[in-house]
Amino acid sequence: MSVWNYVVTAHKPTNVTNSCVGNFTGPQELNLIIAKCTRIEILLLTPLGLQPILDVPIYGRIATLQLFRPHGEAQDFLFIATERYKFCVLQWDAETSELITRAMGDVSDRIGRPTDNGQIGIIDPDCRLIGLHLYDGLFKVIPFDNKGQLKEAFNIRLEELQVLDIQFLYGCSKPTIVVLYQDNKDARHVKTYEVALKDKDFVEGPWAQNNLDNGADLLIPVPPPLCGVLIIGEETIVYCSANAFKAIPIRPSITRAYGRVDADGSRYLLGDHAGLLHLLVITHEKEKVTGLKIELLGETSIASTISYLDNAFVYIGSSYGDSQLVKLNLQPDAKGSYVEVLERYVNLGPIVDFCVVDLERQGQGQVVTCSGAYKDGSLRVVRNGIGINEQASVELQGIKGMWSLRSSTDDPHDTFLVVSFISETRILAMNLEDELEETEIEGFCSQVQTLFCHDAVFNQLVQVTSSSVRLVSSTSRELKNEWFAPAGYSINVATANATQVLLATGGKHLVYLEIGDGVLTQKTHAQLDFEISCLDINPIGENPNYSQLAAVGMWTDISVQIYSLPDLSRITKEHLGGEIIPRSVLLCAFEGISYLLCALGDGHLLNFILNTSTGELTDRKKVSLGTQPITLRTFSSKSTTHVFAASDRPTVIYSSNKKLLYSNVNLKEVSHMCPFNSAAFPDSLAIAKEGELTIGTIDDIQKLHIRSIPLGEHARRICHQEQSRTFAISSVKYNQSSAEDSETHFIRLLDDQSFDLITYYQLDAFEYGCSILSCSFSDDSNVYYCVGTAYVLPEENEPTKGRILVFTVEDGKLQLVAEKETKGAVYSLNAFNGKLLAAINQKIQIYKWTLRDDGTRELQSECGHHGHILALYVQTRGDFIVVGDLMKSISLLIYKHEESSIEERARDYNANWMSAVEILDDDVYLGAENFFNLFSVRKNSEGATDEERGRLEVVGEYHLGEFVNRFRHGSLVMRLPDSDVGQIPTVIFGTVNGVIGVIASLPQEQYVFLEKLQSNLRKVIKGVGGLSHEQWRSFNNEKKTVDAKNFLDGDLIESFLDLSRSKMDEISKQMRVSVEELCKRVEELTRLH
Amino acid sequence: MWREIGDREAGKLRPNSFSNRIKSNRIQTLQLSNGKDIVSPHRGSVNSLQVDLTEGRYLLSGASDASAAVFDIQRGTDYEGGGVIRKHKCLFMVDKQHEQGHKYAVSSAIWYPVDTGLFVTGSYDHHINVWDTNTTQVVMDFKMPGKVYRTAMSPLATSHMLIAAGTEDVQVRLCDIASGAFAHTLSGHRDGVMTVEWSTSSEWVLITGGCDGAIRFWDIRRAGCFHVLDQSQSQLGRRPPILKRSAMIKGSTAKSLSASQSSFAKARTPQTKLMNAKQSPVGKIPVKGSLKQRLHPGMLSSQDRATAHYGAVTGLKVTEDGMYLLSAGSDSRLRLWDVESGCNTLVNFETVRLQTSKPIQLATSQNLALVFVPCMTAVKAFNMWSGKTSLTFRGHYEHVNCCWFSLQDQELYTGGNDRQILVWSPSRSVSDEDEGAKDEDNWSD
Repeated sequence: MSVWNYVVTAHKPTNVTNSCVGNFTGPQELNLIIAKCTRIEILLLTPLGLQPILDVPIYGRIATLQLFRPHGEAQDFLFIATERYKFCVLQWDAETSELITRAMGDVSDRIGRPTDNGQIGIIDPDCRLIGLHLYDGLFKVIPFDNKGQLKEAFNIRLEELQVLDIQFLYGCSKPTIVVLYQDNKDARHVKTYEVALKDKDFVEGPWAQNNLDNGADLLIPVPPPLCGVLIIGEETIVYCSANAFKAIPIRPSITRAYGRVDADGSRYLLGDHAGLLHLLVITHEKEKVTGLKIELLGETSIASTISYLDNAFVYIGSSYGDSQLVKLNLQPDAKGSYVEVLERYVNLGPIVDFCVVDLERQGQGQVVTCSGAYKDGSLRVVRNGIGINEQASVELQGIKGMWSLRSSTDDPHDTFLVVSFISETRILAMNLEDELEETEIEGFCSQVQTLFCHDAVFNQLVQVTSSSVRLVSSTSRELKNEWFAPAGYSINVATANATQVLLATGGKHLVYLEIGDGVLTQKTHAQLDFEISCLDINPIGENPNYSQLAAVGMWTDISVQIYSLPDLSRITKEHLGGEIIPRSVLLCAFEGISYLLCALGDGHLLNFILNTSTGELTDRKKVSLGTQPITLRTFSSKSTTHVFAASDRPTVIYSSNKKLLYSNVNLKEVSHMCPFNSAAFPDSLAIAKEGELTIGTIDDIQKLHIRSIPLGEHARRICHQEQSRTFAISSVKYNQSSAEDSETHFIRLLDDQSFDLITYYQLDAFEYGCSILSCSFSDDSNVYYCVGTAYVLPEENEPTKGRILVFTVEDGKLQLVAEKETKGAVYSLNAFNGKLLAAINQKIQIYKWTLRDDGTRELQSECGHHGHILALYVQTRGDFIVVGDLMKSISLLIYKHEESSIEERARDYNANWMSAVEILDDDVYLGAENFFNLFSVRKNSEGATDEERGRLEVVGEYHLGEFVNRFRHGSLVMRLPDSDVGQIPTVIFGTVNGVIGVIASLPQEQYVFLEKLQSNLRKVIKGVGGLSHEQWRSFNNEKKTVDAKNFLDGDLIESFLDLSRSKMDEISKQMRVSVEELCKRVEELTRLH
Repeated sequence: MWREIGDREAGKLRPNSFSNRIKSNRIQTLQLSNGKDIVSPHRGSVNSLQVDLTEGRYLLSGASDASAAVFDIQRGTDYEGGGVIRKHKCLFMVDKQHEQGHKYAVSSAIWYPVDTGLFVTGSYDHHINVWDTNTTQVVMDFKMPGKVYRTAMSPLATSHMLIAAGTEDVQVRLCDIASGAFAHTLSGHRDGVMTVEWSTSSEWVLITGGCDGAIRFWDIRRAGCFHVLDQSQSQLGRRPPILKRSAMIKGSTAKSLSASQSSFAKARTPQTKLMNAKQSPVGKIPVKGSLKQRLHPGMLSSQDRATAHYGAVTGLKVTEDGMYLLSAGSDSRLRLWDVESGCNTLVNFETVRLQTSKPIQLATSQNLALVFVPCMTAVKAFNMWSGKTSLTFRGHYEHVNCCWFSLQDQELYTGGNDRQILVWSPSRSVSDEDEGAKDEDNWSD
């Protein structure tokens, strides 16, 4: 790997942090707006459900998201503030369907200390001002003028230092805030202040309430006519206003989110830390509040945000589990729950650990993550590409072609599967037992190879062989008509649809036939310049049975030509360039756009946009799919048409947002494919591969596939063991049934195919699993699971005791074979030169695996190294040990065999609080730190002085905006040995927000090229809300802010492919590289993930 | 700790709360370091300590034997006790033997804030020397009218390179490294100036404390001081009703921090603040320029005579967030001031005895809101809001003169008349070292 890194998101953030509901895209349209940390999604509420309108990245971590409506506006504006103190006001432009920036700015201050409890951003209900609490002791006000424009911001001193929540009160003549705060003695109070805009100061507000619930940390302002505020505590809920005070006790719980049900504010949904949804009702007589009532509705994911949509539909956004769309029913179901989950939206966050495995042993990595928390904990298997779920398979060698046929034109299902071999044709059909059985169609010629088959109109079938075209009745299965190739010529290639046949014979002849009821009529004939290599007349016009155009691929001049039907006159000729002949052409239409796909003999695919009326070919693009000739076929799945490209790297081509996308199919090599939609195997595909015919269904067509394995407990560490084909996870079960919340920690063993729980080992009371490793030791052929633990005692600040447990897997059981007590938490375990390397509190320790006299084995400590605050993350390579410290960045240690000791070689003297480390190569190490940054450091072994050699030089810095929990070497995609990207080493990372990302080390030349592209893209692609990309990606922590270096933002670079042609041209001009070349290079990069 | 790490991992604990919580936990366990030892080369009392602001790696000390020394506090020079105790000998020292060295006590030694290439020493020999760290040569020398008590450079400054110097003289001088000459003299104090401190929110604002008991605020771009702190002025705690409040603001002069930023800040701020909602500068009430200028040079004489302490002001320290100022006086009082309003917050710091004859160097920690104060032979950490003693550090045999808190490592460095520099670090579990010893046994047999 190298210092030139490319960072790209393979799986976008899914942790929903904020959501709100309002009329954003139109005065009559109800929208749900969701913030997923660095992205916002805008959805429209329709009778059919939530319809996505827009999903855009924000150059910042969204701290607050609010909809508001300035005076005189018919629809809502969106206010966003980011954690790095930028804010913007967005408006929807219905004409262009884009976001317009109404205002933006910077609200950072030189003074003040960033708040510990998170940033607060609120908008006065009467739209007089925006209030922000960003620094302890300061309340920033951005006033609106009469026209709804924002004026200059100012600060007001807030004497309360530990602010928990601030809200605006409704129905006040002057803007009034209510502040929930904690005092020096940890008691909690609320206080109100009027904001005097003219004097830029607070005036004591109408009321205050002291000594609330000690767990109170949420305020809900109540709209008119009731007004006032609800204060949600852990044991009580209080309604407070100038003239009323009502309280009710609740079951102890921590309320994490609320959603207002009625516009008059009399009912609220509350979601707690256990995922229970309550309804809170303010009972009132007219405007007088008489009391509070609370009722349990049921269980959802643990909510981080609740948005009541309409008609009892509620959106539950979650940080710890899948987000949900639920319906609240009037009547409880059998379990007494009023909540019905209608839809789940996958959330991988928080990914606390993951491993990269190749379970199918196909050379393609899958990521298995520990996702979710508390009861919503789960394992997620994330895999790139499309899977085939095998239903049936037969051993069959030498398949040369396959077609499915129906028994009658109206039959919705396919009955026959025609399989062609070099010297015969066999016909398979489903029998009554739903088995594939060989059968016969009398009218077909089965002693020769079939070149093409198709259903035809009038209950007929067409078979093309090298000598003739046969028209057969599908009901009587008898030959009805036959057309013979002229004597001396044999048919080389042929294609057909329901009413037409086009074939090419030797001698450069192209013959066009039409199918009638029982007749085949030769309509036209043409002699071309060269021999024909491939043909297609797939109908893409209005008539699904008849094509106006034919695509023809040529030998010799390597071109593809478009002919009109029936007259066979040439409309277009496109030279492909190069020396590789086209092997398969296909006319197809996706999302209303017609394309011509043309596959070459070397695994490349060209695509053109086809103008169906003029036959013109435009927007030529070339991608590499594999190395072997490709055969293209269409198929449909979920009533959408896709194209299957069979080759050594089978690929599905589909379209999304009017852009062609390519997704790998997780099969090794496919020679032929045809859709086979039989009654027994609906929506299936027949696939010919390596001497086998398989019938299977295909996954949803999308890039990443995620399989969830709910655990009901929080998995913290995972590791895979190849030999025993198991996963071991360390997990926590929270027991909330008893009065005291308690936790139990387990080591669980799961089967790596079925993910069934095989066995478990329960850790001691207060014992936490901290690390897990599968390894073997020198002089011992067995493979072990090693588990590092810590005893976390309530009275101890830092664990002083832990264990290393060594297990073997025997007969599906975890056998404890050795254990070693440690003087602290075992934060990390690594296999190291046949020994075990453990990070225990401040210390790095090496253990030998020694044989005792009685034949049992034990861990014996060999040597150690002090000098860390806490050695949290450790990676090794050869004799080198790279340590990520709690707060002292990265240090490099070396193990000396002769002296059996560990020495420090070098360190990075910056004060980075680490969250993950990885070794990129011998000299370059990658780190992720607490403030969402990535950086890389390089060993300087050639330094002139001790000082230089002892320092890890920072070579790369980048603001990722995500909290990385783990790096792992590996790749989500199968690597093609010959392609450029196949050689690029990658590291995968997983984050708290559920992002799976890829860091690729590029060759310098490519990096320089892409850096130039990135800086050009920055000029063309403007950030939402006018936020700057350059500032967003600048490394930023408590101490410093510096421009990003040696890291590129792959998400920005890959968005080049989404640009309009004119913008692409603009960039191409700046770069002095053709658009096609740019597309090709960027598309290659998209294949890294 | 494991629990916090787990919570951070799962996104339950915000990363910045995580680091603050760990820092606070560690600060609470500060004790005389059992793993780090600074070998003091000084043969006189240590008067000044500072760790560089860029890397947090080099400690600069100044002592009464006319010497100044630099230590690498991240990398030990020797190890003792099986690699557990790290010794830090000084990397170099400049003293009387040095041809350009000071003749008398070094009262103040500070780093150039931008990098560690330069440092500045002030001495009782009436000189301020600017040293090149790499060659240990004096590159600039300022002759002062009297003993130098304290020097300071602004940690924020990007448009000036001024050393503010407090001396026996009543005038505060600003020495310009860029030109090698005095840029300004600030007149106002009626006695020597023991302590000078730059604002942490504006590079133009200097705070000085004199032997006359006054604490003065200067905007160095304007003539005269713009504010004198008055220990009797305190009104924080209650917001007055709206009318009275606005009247009071008009009469007050404390608002010029805001104006100071708005005029010059633009050139310096790296990010351009955009569009209609501009960044609001520090203070908020834009006082009319004319009004303020009228007030500056000849402030009402009653205001000009206000005192912050009875007796001399011996120490000043602005908190990192720029919102508060701490002062120590020879009246053995500590006071906490609200910088923006200039009010005495009336926090009652527990009675202490402070050195009266010498300037003392205070330190603060934003985490836990602590102020570290040399109190005779001990150093005490007081909670800034309650004034209660949180921690007491006893280790020096004689009076302590200075302390420096390194937030990066959560370590406290103290220097005293006993010529020692002591390091106070978060405690490490002792058991860890036992194991170290035991391990050696393990592999030796």
